[in-house]
Amino acid sequence: MRRRLAARLGQSIVVTFIVATISFFAIRAAPGDPFSYSAKPLSQSLREQLRRESGYDRPMAEQYLRYLRKIARGDLGYSFNKGEYVTTALAQALPRTLLLAGIALVLSFVIGIALGVTQATRAGWFDRMTSTVILIFYSVPDFWGAMIMLTIFASWWRLFPPGDIVTPVMHDYMPAWKAFADRVWHLILPVASLTLLSLAGIARYQRAAMLDVLPSDFIRTARAKGVSERGLVWRHAFRNALTPMVTILGLTLPAFLGGLVFIERVFTWPGIGSLAAEAIEGRDYDLVTGTVIVGAILVVFGNLLADLLHAAIDPRVRE
Amino acid sequence: MRSSLSFVALAALLTACSGEKPANSSAATGGTVILALFGDAISIYPPSIIDLTGRLVQDQVFDRLAEIGQDLNTVGDKGFAPRLAKSWKWASDSMSIAFSIDPRARWHDGKPVTASDVRFSLNTFKDPKFQSPVASLVTNIDSVHVQDSLTAVLWFKKHTPEQFYDAAYQVIIMPEHVYGAIPPDQMRTSPVARAPIGSGRFKFVRWDPGERLELIADTGNYRGRAKLDRIIITPTPDAAAGATKILTGAADLVDNYLIDRAGELDTSKVARRVDWANFGAILMAMNPNDPKARNAPHPIFGDLRTRRALSMAVDRASMLKNVFGANGKLSHGPFAATVSYADTTLHPAPYDTVAAKALLDSAGWRVGPKGVRMKNGRPLRFSIVVSPSPTRRRYAELMQDQFKKIGAQVDVDQVDNATLTARQNNHDYDALMASYVSDPAASGLRQAWGTEGIGPDGQNFLRYSNKTFDALMDSATASFDPATRQRYTSRALQTVINDAPAIFLYDIFVVLGMNRRIVTAPMRTDEWWVNLADWSIPPDKRIDRDKIGFSPKR
Amino acid sequence: MADTTTASRSFVRRLLRQPGARWSVIAIALLVVVAVFGPSVLRHIQGYGPNDQLQIVQLKNAPPSWAHPFGTDRLGRDLLSRVVTGAQISLAISVVAVALSITVGTAYGLVSGYAGGWVDAVMMRILDGFLAIPRVLLLIALATMADRMPLWKLVLLIGGTGWFGVSRLIRAETIVLRRSTFIESAHALGASMTRTMWRHVLPNVLTPVIVFATLSVGNVILLESGLSYLGAGTKIPTASWGAIFNDGMGSAGDVWWVLLFPGLAILITVLAFNVLGDALRDVLDPRHLHASHTPQIAEAATSATPEKNG
Repeated sequence: MRRRLAARLGQSIVVTFIVATISFFAIRAAPGDPFSYSAKPLSQSLREQLRRESGYDRPMAEQYLRYLRKIARGDLGYSFNKGEYVTTALAQALPRTLLLAGIALVLSFVIGIALGVTQATRAGWFDRMTSTVILIFYSVPDFWGAMIMLTIFASWWRLFPPGDIVTPVMHDYMPAWKAFADRVWHLILPVASLTLLSLAGIARYQRAAMLDVLPSDFIRTARAKGVSERGLVWRHAFRNALTPMVTILGLTLPAFLGGLVFIERVFTWPGIGSLAAEAIEGRDYDLVTGTVIVGAILVVFGNLLADLLHAAIDPRVRE
Repeated sequence: MRSSLSFVALAALLTACSGEKPANSSAATGGTVILALFGDAISIYPPSIIDLTGRLVQDQVFDRLAEIGQDLNTVGDKGFAPRLAKSWKWASDSMSIAFSIDPRARWHDGKPVTASDVRFSLNTFKDPKFQSPVASLVTNIDSVHVQDSLTAVLWFKKHTPEQFYDAAYQVIIMPEHVYGAIPPDQMRTSPVARAPIGSGRFKFVRWDPGERLELIADTGNYRGRAKLDRIIITPTPDAAAGATKILTGAADLVDNYLIDRAGELDTSKVARRVDWANFGAILMAMNPNDPKARNAPHPIFGDLRTRRALSMAVDRASMLKNVFGANGKLSHGPFAATVSYADTTLHPAPYDTVAAKALLDSAGWRVGPKGVRMKNGRPLRFSIVVSPSPTRRRYAELMQDQFKKIGAQVDVDQVDNATLTARQNNHDYDALMASYVSDPAASGLRQAWGTEGIGPDGQNFLRYSNKTFDALMDSATASFDPATRQRYTSRALQTVINDAPAIFLYDIFVVLGMNRRIVTAPMRTDEWWVNLADWSIPPDKRIDRDKIGFSPKR
Repeated sequence: MADTTTASRSFVRRLLRQPGARWSVIAIALLVVVAVFGPSVLRHIQGYGPNDQLQIVQLKNAPPSWAHPFGTDRLGRDLLSRVVTGAQISLAISVVAVALSITVGTAYGLVSGYAGGWVDAVMMRILDGFLAIPRVLLLIALATMADRMPLWKLVLLIGGTGWFGVSRLIRAETIVLRRSTFIESAHALGASMTRTMWRHVLPNVLTPVIVFATLSVGNVILLESGLSYLGAGTKIPTASWGAIFNDGMGSAGDVWWVLLFPGLAILITVLAFNVLGDALRDVLDPRHLHASHTPQIAEAATSATPEKNG
């Protein structure tokens, strides 16, 4: 187990390094450099000076090595637009994204799996109807779905706030329990939107996985041996269908984070997705690179966790 | 409060019963106002301020020597109200003015404001190392002499009609003991540049870039404390999000309400509509030079006939109706109709597609295959660079279609604000939708369209140069008789119009969404925020965030 | 020969028996017809095109009428014409982008699987890197850095970020085949490598690739509309569905037609492709994949299935 963990950890680091490389070259491929697009009045000589300071006039290979060394030290650069270090900006935004994404992820999986299992076992009109509804949710563009939720629940019916993570100003003056309730109140709509839009994909996978397993041989044997239908579904089929689901977690994570970008935009949730969009608009190269790397790290370590979970559930995997 | 869930409402009730008393707020003062402005401040260090939000913060936190009157009269000193200078005395030859600093004036850190602060401020603005856009506007001020700690004498190079305006309006007074210690090249990253200390009626509290900027009333201010307790700026670049915020009461003011949806403000119980006429105008600049070869004339826009033809090819009145409905204001020329020197009898060439086509023919652009005009093998094709502003983008799209009808193929290049500014400053464009803010004073025209305004520090970004215009403006700014001034100015403006360096489209019309509980003070045409310190909220209309006063956060 | 025709006939029958498959096939067929012929037919009937601003004052945001069945937008352009042209554009973007993804993915997978050794290991790690970056993040970073772009660039961008799953699948299949004695003997008999690959690898991966292609078309349409929403999309005034929808978002709430028609178009199209993709997947029997191939291929087949926004 420990060897496996070490091996996977090593792999994750390698992948992160590759992501950093991809980010570096992809973003450098864009025309210009951060200083040709600065909105602040900068004279030509000041521009040259800044370029020299940040090393933008050096050959690509040398820039790349400098970049790697900085990343290894944990220095992700400086954001000129925000006036702070990239790591500081990310450190502020990351917990907010994790809160939103974490809750939505858990909810989507729980509901999605439950739906998938129920669909597979209760074939017939229930299966068909649920499939259709799920498919519709799956086919709606994320930003449109989020905007509809916002319009219905924050504009027409003023049940929830139209965005942000806390009530501006008043939150700082609320007693602890009220501040907590305020946070929850602001969380509900974005989490609900993200969950609704994401569980469709998971339910689909789970249903397919269950349908795969249910007719299989060992299930038939178990049934012949007299195991109850319920026991079959939950103990045998579900267990077997669950293991690929853990792999699915790893696979759906990047797409999940993609949907998150739209949700954060619509609900002005100041997380990593919003930060990325802001950075891109402001040509904040270091910040863009930083957010892409962090996004990928989330995926990579999400995968790692999924893999460990897999090993924990399925003893066959623990060699 | 109306939008709360029941448990939050209950919680609010409990809080009210817990006996929290706001400190330092009497019935007459109090209130917290949330401004959901379009852009975050780029800089709040006065010499580097170039954007609207930065100016708003500057005007609350800092003072000038004297404040211009509501009518924005820039000639002489009538109408100017005392600020840091409680009085001033002209020398008999008008080559200097002695300003007496109000002895009650204090910086926000408690130290008194002195005459050497005035000298320091002027020198900072003029210092080329800071590259302040103000430097070119205060060239007439030669120096400041510190007569005693409360008297600053400003010496001028020439006696001009607007010399008082130059001294009083353009120079922001900053504390020498705070900013004098930092060398110019370290100012960019210095924390002091992001935490301003001034003498204004609002104090700076904190700035989380991209999230919020907070100001609080300076209760001991020499001019009396502001009526509001607190101003919070939350940048909201998405116009739709801003609209939702103002309509649900999550924000108290939004400064760029979508024109097409302005009707929502009229029917809202929470917000109302405030139209703000200002000095801004939008024009489509045509680069006279080739963006690829700096000093060569532009292959399309280098020819006056082509420029005039393109000006006549667009139906400005219809475009105005489409974008602004009944509310828009057509541009009469290179000025906003609200400035004192505006001449609304002037107008650009009228809409006439027949004449436009004829002009293009005579300029050598013949209609080729697929309807695009050609000249010497080159198609009449160019791009218009535009920012994400919805109105400007719509204009670019409308013009794209109208240009197509006379045989020009136009691409619309939408870029972000930072790129637009950069490309504008680097002259890297064919055509560009530029916003142009008229200086309240006619002398500003010399910087905007005169030869002296060309260069990295000037404001003549189009590099337009016409000796006749320069001569006419010299005559205008030298004369003390208002009628003569206007005559010369009008002729100068007509010169620019005839040269068609740009297509003058519309005066900027801003719809502010404002929460109904706020009672505003008069807004000035150049800055709607100038009297923010006098905005108030009647006690019977106050909501929970108005009542927190100066209580420290938990 | 007769075998294949009966096989294909039974396949079609089984396909059409899947729930919803019938209507999705009809919808897609209709869509293709509209996309191919619609714009030119409409232009012939109406006398104007999708980008023509007909009357910028009187026809601004005009509600649906006989003259303009879908109404007009804020620039006085006929919305029906734009939505029909949008079908052509959005479909073209999707088809070409997906074709690109499949081509690049196949090439990458073939090379990696065939080369083996350290080349394969390096290529796979690089692939893991690409797979770890959320596609939307990568797209907006690249797209917005380049500002609004012509169609071909957009296609390149979307297609160039969607090939990762496919390459895993092709590689898995290639490895299996490379090890099998069948290939060795075929090679010994003088058959060229490419011919062998062509004849043996591809038929085996055909079914998951077809499913991938069908489900991807919907996903690409969603991505394109998402990019337009974020402000990084096709050049003004291209009438892609995402752009039409995005244009409509600034208008007041009572101008419902500018959002409803492009929105419905996107929804119905994506739905149709997803239903068809599901039906194809059920019919082409992935269990065969599991039974007759290694778990690696089964897993690769699953990862090849595109996830929304991925």
